[in-house]
Amino acid sequence: MSGGYIDELHEAFHSDLIYRSEDIPLDCSPKPKEMEQTLHGVMKLNGLIIRSLEEIAGRGANAVTYRAGKKFGHEVAKYFQKRDDVEGALHELSDLLRGQYSFEVWKPEDKETFIIEENGETFIYLVFHDCIVRQTLRRNGLDQGGPLCQTLFGYVVGAIEEITGRKAKLEIVHTGPNACLKKLVLK
Amino acid sequence: MDIHVDKDACVGCGLCVKDCPMHVYELQNNVSVAVRPNNCMGCLSCHEICPAQALEHRGIYAARRHYIDIKVCEMLRKVV
Ligand code: SF4
Ligand code: SF4
Repeated sequence: MSGGYIDELHEAFHSDLIYRSEDIPLDCSPKPKEMEQTLHGVMKLNGLIIRSLEEIAGRGANAVTYRAGKKFGHEVAKYFQKRDDVEGALHELSDLLRGQYSFEVWKPEDKETFIIEENGETFIYLVFHDCIVRQTLRRNGLDQGGPLCQTLFGYVVGAIEEITGRKAKLEIVHTGPNACLKKLVLK
Repeated sequence: MDIHVDKDACVGCGLCVKDCPMHVYELQNNVSVAVRPNNCMGCLSCHEICPAQALEHRGIYAARRHYIDIKVCEMLRKVV
């Protein structure tokens, strides 16, 4: 994976902002006008969740929501350029998710490269910053990491499979109020 | 990532040490110290859990927060 694209991503997520602990958030960001794109995403996603629920009702909430997300990922990504390189696929994916989710490729300090090989697995860490699922859960006071997060898993996996033609898997490493760490396992 | 711990505010509870998935903090003399700031991926779980609001992250990307109700914000602005 070339440094240029990674540096570009890091640049996009770097700021000079000083973030202090706060008692009560007084701001809703971004401006309401910019929310439209995100809200359309939520509506589409919910529609697909319900449809999938009818198809496989009774198999458990995670199976349903994962399937809905995956369908959404395949559906949206089929109009995007097919790529067989991981860097290109992630680039396509970030275009695809724009307005609903944003992510960057990340690695812990002790790792040399962004594509990590460990215990016979090849994977990439992704830090998800903006996420409509996290916002929906926090709006409703629900825990992160449950069935609704499975829609995002399915979505990313569906889109990566559609773009690269390769099988993929996404694992949750940590969920936080401002960002979540995920592991994209390549097969 | 530039992480500051307010030494006067920190009560040494160690919650940030336990909660941080990247093991960024260590307790030293009953105060939290960010020993691996470059391992921070900006989740802000530590901000959420710290009872003393002793933490500050500089250079962080603040994710969108559509979930915060605009009407509530407007009302709070009038009183806070
Ligand atoms: S923001 Fe997350 S990764 Fe960074 S120090 Fe806090 S808990 Fe650890
Ligand atoms: S959670 Fe807050 S008060 Fe507790 S050790 Fe960490 S910085 Fe100090």
